[in-house]
Amino acid sequence: MSEEKEYGPFEVDQHITAHSRYYAGKIGSLFYTTLRDHKKFLGIKCGTCDKVLWPPRGTCGRCFSQLSEADMVEIGPNGILETFTLITYHEPVHPRKAPFIYGIIKLDGADTGMAHFIDEVTFEQLETGMRLQPVFEEERKANILDIKYFRPL
Amino acid sequence: MTRELFEQELISMPMIVDVPYRFAAGKYMSRFLIGLKDNGKFLGIRCPSCNRVQMPPRIVCAACHVKNTEWVELGQEGTLAGFTIMYLPLTDPTTGKLHKPPFTYGSVRLDGCDSVIDHLVNIEPDVNKIWIGMRMKAVLRSKEQRTGDLSDILYFEPVEGQEKPGRQL
Amino acid sequence: MKRNVAIIGGGQTHHAARRHDVNQVEMVNEAIRAALLDARITIDEIDAVLLGNMEFFEGTHMTDCWLVDGTGVYGKPGLKITTGGTVGATIVCAGAHHVASGLFDKVLCIGFEKQEEGDTGAILSGVAHPLYGRSMAGAAVGYFAMMGTSYMATWGAKEEHSAMVAVKARQNARKNEYAHLKLDITIQDALNARMLAYPIRMLDMCPASNGACAMILADEKTARDRCTKPVWIRAMDSAHNEQFELDWRDVTTTRPIFSKVSAARLYRKLGVKNPVEYFDVFEIYEPATWAELVWYEDLSICGPGEGFKLIEDGMTEIDGPIPVNPSGGVLSTNCIGASAMLRVWEAALQIRGDAGEHQVPKEVNRALTTAYGGTNWAVLIALSGSSDE
Repeated sequence: MSEEKEYGPFEVDQHITAHSRYYAGKIGSLFYTTLRDHKKFLGIKCGTCDKVLWPPRGTCGRCFSQLSEADMVEIGPNGILETFTLITYHEPVHPRKAPFIYGIIKLDGADTGMAHFIDEVTFEQLETGMRLQPVFEEERKANILDIKYFRPL
Repeated sequence: MTRELFEQELISMPMIVDVPYRFAAGKYMSRFLIGLKDNGKFLGIRCPSCNRVQMPPRIVCAACHVKNTEWVELGQEGTLAGFTIMYLPLTDPTTGKLHKPPFTYGSVRLDGCDSVIDHLVNIEPDVNKIWIGMRMKAVLRSKEQRTGDLSDILYFEPVEGQEKPGRQL
Repeated sequence: MKRNVAIIGGGQTHHAARRHDVNQVEMVNEAIRAALLDARITIDEIDAVLLGNMEFFEGTHMTDCWLVDGTGVYGKPGLKITTGGTVGATIVCAGAHHVASGLFDKVLCIGFEKQEEGDTGAILSGVAHPLYGRSMAGAAVGYFAMMGTSYMATWGAKEEHSAMVAVKARQNARKNEYAHLKLDITIQDALNARMLAYPIRMLDMCPASNGACAMILADEKTARDRCTKPVWIRAMDSAHNEQFELDWRDVTTTRPIFSKVSAARLYRKLGVKNPVEYFDVFEIYEPATWAELVWYEDLSICGPGEGFKLIEDGMTEIDGPIPVNPSGGVLSTNCIGASAMLRVWEAALQIRGDAGEHQVPKEVNRALTTAYGGTNWAVLIALSGSSDE
């Protein structure tokens, strides 16, 4: 009869590393190339709802109308701060080291907001309703970080 | 105004999701992995109801819903139940190590066991030199190098002195 | 079933290797708009939306939540389902359950995969047990290859038989405007293709496709009032398998094989004595050519070990007595999240007589569809042009 041994907990460390690539589609691509090449923002107008949506998309989620590049309209570049917060803890997945501020900015002409970093201002100085303007990177790559951050006007 | 015909530039964003995990092996699996690591042994369990011997061991037999309590020490030899010769490079997702093709990969049923184990087979990747039913033995890493993982088995190797039968099984 | 359930419409995208012109939401939306048009129904009339794909394949989670704009589920109930390769069929079953329960009348079912966007090898390795098998994962082709060597050794089949399946699939696909791999290939082409893992060559394996499929399931009253050719879901069955038990590749195993178990139960439910006589067409889930031969046997279309003779005799050709995969099957189009649903939709098209060039040239009243997924479990769905036969 074999003796029963107490086996301690056995744990194994592993990783899964997955490489993916997200395609923006025609409408998304037009937004990003316009941002990169002209430092301008495009939203998309749903005629049925009479709303301008950002990010621009192929279907209006609310009324299910099909939208196309022809419906894209210029928005911003400035906007209103809808809400914001200060991140004070660190996570490896964060794009910046804490502390940093980010918030939702509703660009002029759009009915929905954009999340982005807010800089050149302290947390105490910020107030919802403040007007902000974007600061662009010198070298832009057609992604959302072509905008460095927003700052008060 | 001249009309320019252009192909729209289509944007894509590459992303890498890298997630670390720490898995707890659980009671039965721990005993199996420790048995492999410390003693170089293969431990299975036998279901009291259907008599299946399974490796790796699990607490409950899925078919019978009965608790498995009988541990079975399996030998190091078995029979090749299936094989393939891989011409595609295979990266071990747990180590990032690349197995360069061509290499042989097979399914071995250890003597006394009902389930099979998939692993590398150390044999010339020639379809005429490998057959189903071939006798195989496990080759393990040295004790100092074992970590308590299936990779503690380096590969399976054909038992010496075998000849391909005239008619395939 | 508590209430009868019918497919009143459906649609699919033109499946392709690359879809850079649309993002995931927009691609899914294409299939949905096609389905709504086919069913002559608006999104407002849909009561619930069920959506599925391969879990995390494209590196994005909670697809039921963030694809909302395109799926029309805004403000409505909906679920995401991920069950591996079977997901397309599982969603159809779930949709049927929703309608049969009496709690929902019209359910939109969606299966999709924007496969080029994901790291399928890495994510698929997550299916394998982390402590027992993950280091060998990524050899998905290897699993089917081992099935091939086992099949040939056991029954005396040859590589030519695998080539015959490959040719049938892609030649059928040439008649299907939505299929991905429409290839005018011969047996010799298949035998000369690049070897991936013996005996599986490039043409013996399914592609990676970008695509989506959507179907609308409805209750009997809606189906009879609004649809000229409803296709009824007569029975469903599915059987899960244990992890680790990969013995299905050893074709002589006496362990229960879940495709067989599920088929036997489904046949009992419907009183099927001979599936070849009962069903007019089969749409089966074959990720590799050898899997098709094994399906013939598991579904009792022929006896054990006779699958390769069936293809040799041309019995399962599109104009043969037992047509299997007139659409081109998974071997021609594999957007994994949609693949199993495409089997159901293609079978429905056959029953409706709407399959165009790939319509089988005989009367089709009843069809059987199968789905296959990791750890070897199966989902079977039987369709009929009649709600009680």
